[in-house]
Amino acid sequence: MAAMAVALRGLGGRFRWRTQAVAGGVRGAARGAAAAQLGRKVAVVDYVEPSPQGTRWGLGGTCVNVGCIPKKLMHQAALLGGLIQDAPHYGWEVAQPVPHDWRKMAEAVQNHVKSLNWGHRVQLQDRKVKYFNIKASFVDEHTVCGVAKGGKEILLSADHIIIATGGRPRYPTHIEGALEYGITSDDIFWLKESPGKTLVVGASYVALECAGFLTGIGLDTTVMIRSIPLRGFDQQMSSMVIEHMASHGTQFLRGCAPSRVRRLPDGHLQVTWEDCTTGKEDTGTFDTVLWAIGRVPDTRSLNLEKAGVDTSPDTQKILVDSREGTSVPHIYAIGDVVEGRPELTPTAIMAGRLLVQRLFGGSSDLMDYDNVPTTVFTPLEYGCVGLSEEEAVARHGQEHVEVYHAHYKPLEFTVAGRDASQCYVKMVCLREPPQLVLGLHFLGPNAGEVTQGFALGIKCGASYAQVMRTVGIHPTCSEEVVKLRISKRSGLDPTVTGCG
Amino acid sequence: MALLTRALSARAGPSWRRAARASPGFQLPLLEPAAVTRALSRAMACRQEPQPQGPPPAAGAVASYDYLVIGGGSGGLASARRAAELGARAAVVESHKLGGTCVSTAVCSVRGRRFVSAFRSTACARSYGFPSCEGKFNWRVIKEKRDAYVSRLNTIYQNNLTKSHIEIIRGHAAFTSDPKPTIEVSGKKYTAPHILIATGGVPSIPHESQIPGASLGITSDGFFQLEELPSRSVIVGAGYIAVEIAGILSALGSKTSLMIRHDKVKEVKKTSSGLEVSMVTAVPGSLPVMTMIPDVDCLLWAIGRDPNSKGLSLDKLGIQTDDKGHIIVDEFQNTNVKGIYAVGDVCGKALLTPVAIAAGRKLAHRLFEHKEDSKLDYNNIPTVVFSHPPIGTVGLTEDEAIHKYGEENVKIYSTSFTPMYHAVTKRKTKCVMKMVCANKEEK
Repeated sequence: MAAMAVALRGLGGRFRWRTQAVAGGVRGAARGAAAAQLGRKVAVVDYVEPSPQGTRWGLGGTCVNVGCIPKKLMHQAALLGGLIQDAPHYGWEVAQPVPHDWRKMAEAVQNHVKSLNWGHRVQLQDRKVKYFNIKASFVDEHTVCGVAKGGKEILLSADHIIIATGGRPRYPTHIEGALEYGITSDDIFWLKESPGKTLVVGASYVALECAGFLTGIGLDTTVMIRSIPLRGFDQQMSSMVIEHMASHGTQFLRGCAPSRVRRLPDGHLQVTWEDCTTGKEDTGTFDTVLWAIGRVPDTRSLNLEKAGVDTSPDTQKILVDSREGTSVPHIYAIGDVVEGRPELTPTAIMAGRLLVQRLFGGSSDLMDYDNVPTTVFTPLEYGCVGLSEEEAVARHGQEHVEVYHAHYKPLEFTVAGRDASQCYVKMVCLREPPQLVLGLHFLGPNAGEVTQGFALGIKCGASYAQVMRTVGIHPTCSEEVVKLRISKRSGLDPTVTGCG
Repeated sequence: MALLTRALSARAGPSWRRAARASPGFQLPLLEPAAVTRALSRAMACRQEPQPQGPPPAAGAVASYDYLVIGGGSGGLASARRAAELGARAAVVESHKLGGTCVSTAVCSVRGRRFVSAFRSTACARSYGFPSCEGKFNWRVIKEKRDAYVSRLNTIYQNNLTKSHIEIIRGHAAFTSDPKPTIEVSGKKYTAPHILIATGGVPSIPHESQIPGASLGITSDGFFQLEELPSRSVIVGAGYIAVEIAGILSALGSKTSLMIRHDKVKEVKKTSSGLEVSMVTAVPGSLPVMTMIPDVDCLLWAIGRDPNSKGLSLDKLGIQTDDKGHIIVDEFQNTNVKGIYAVGDVCGKALLTPVAIAAGRKLAHRLFEHKEDSKLDYNNIPTVVFSHPPIGTVGLTEDEAIHKYGEENVKIYSTSFTPMYHAVTKRKTKCVMKMVCANKEEK
């Protein structure tokens, strides 16, 4: 069948084009629709390989189904638990403790995700993007094939092909029992029953966010970290994220690595691990083991070599240039499947849109991956944009970097008597006037909402001087950014007192 | 201050007592200086409050500073502290509590927002898996906490001033007729080459002559003293204070009405079951009718704020104000009198704490660091109305932009969506965003 197809695995596509996006993730769908809007004949090919535990989901990719969306909703559920505890301080006569019902939450979250799946399908339909729910792989550089339900083989060919197959959680297959008894982020959001006492293995934001909300809804949660938390993020901030979690009920096993998982007769899971420093072995019993040790690109089953698309020998991720072009002229790749790109929804969406504009809209705008803001939705949220302090120092040298910082106390923590020890903000700048802002790091409530606006400023090349000329909004946590005055270099106490 | 009154009364005849009671501030009637200062010295000696650093100036002398700040609120304190940091010998005059409106009486204080946030949470919690979350509200708990917090802040501010070696002069200041700009507080005189007026504002209430019974209502100042949640509230006004207070009361369970034109309120009467508020209302297309809301236990005027400039004797120096009493200043916060400045709500422009703070600090840098061009840019000041849902705004409104650039040069981007928080809740609110851009570059 010589049909023009675009396979996109991802969020609803708003682009239509004469391309085939393989994988209908967020990016995929977005691109599909965009291209279609520019008058192209577009198809999206999307398929979800069930997780080893059997979990599967609909159109929309990781973000919608097993990532950002359900994560944020469950994080919100956990935050609500905290607010309910605060409520009596504000005069609300709420009987404590208030128990949490996993089933009720999971059902609500899963229903929302399904509504989004539906929304994407409708969008593709409205934009006349053809949708194939088949597992596609390359036959040659212009042709993709897949087997539909019922065994029928479908061949799709296209002038342009976009690969946006994303990634999946990595399983530590070298650990006995890991695959059979452990789950990943692919499964946690779709569990019908509470995961109970959980061991989260990993130090990624996925590990910490999951452990965070599990603790928040009242579950006994332990995080096992082999070395450092949130690799790639500012380490001072990452330590504080962990400190907060540790002082609010999450248990941590630092410097440990698991060696074996087995199922006990009563159904519980017994995990054996080794303390990397002492070499000592220990065991623990859990209801659930969640692996969050990283993600691998979904490229293995694509038969990329048939199309001649090069991948990184280390990561198997697809290699692209600044135009998202692969080693084959008419084949492109975006999103998590690409080497060296941030694994974030908004960058994938934007890259996809810009790509379509370049291919069919006569634009020449390239995606700018600098100063991409992001937020880790741990119990105390961490928002950041730009360079970490260590990156800034590595790039410019300690003597050329000035870091302004402050420990602040959110107004909302006062009446409820919440611990604000880790509520902290720092701005990494160049030392030479006007002191260009290199990075902003905010740890506190609503970090995502706080960071978004400042990301625009940094994108526009804001200097410390300009930030200081910006009047704050009172009373907010956000205003603490424009009030930063104490530098690390001065050695002065950076604790904020009073109203400005 | 009570001690002072007694000291004066003891020395003077009945006419004194009448004068002392009548005046809102502490305007001393003309009397032989010796008698006044003797009375004052006695009063001062009786005071329990700790004396500021340094020996008290001799009776009759004028204490001299580098910087005198009238008003210990957001603007005044920020300016005094920055000036002190820059080496100025500063004093702050305050007749009430340190911290001013923002800390003590502002709607944007702890009480308002967090209450309702907690409320919203308990209401939505059920949808997020907390099935047994039911909440009844107890006003007293939050009032006590809030009062304690404000009290703590007052102390923190006092300590901050002491740490900065800034003298705190307790009392009400008024300008004198002396050749050099001088103020008088409780009979003592103070002067400085630079004097800042940062006395803020007070909520306005309609005159009894305009609306009989108006004084039966309270203002935002009184809101924070309420001991119980009112069961029936009428908030008169349409600004952010009216909207915020009405929102809080309604969310907490008070049956609340928001009245948007205060000139339509005709009369307020007190009855055994509460207040009766009579007003003229008009449904579009119909004739106006007289309506009456009975059993109101909280009538709150939020119809604007007046500058706190009346008791300052500005006329003694000829300091210019507008017809509402706002002190007129230029972009550098200068009044028309050399050496006298004003910042904050008393100037009537951008009535916000961070603005007063920023302007106060810029002024301190200009005066004491000789940064001649140090001033606050009043453009693009962001602000938030803590309604439900809240409104955050910065820059021009759509109307302002059209007026400035012309309709054909203004492009509006907008979006409306239901925040994901409500994906799982029964209660939904919308989030609406609007970006107003101008000209080809779509600034």
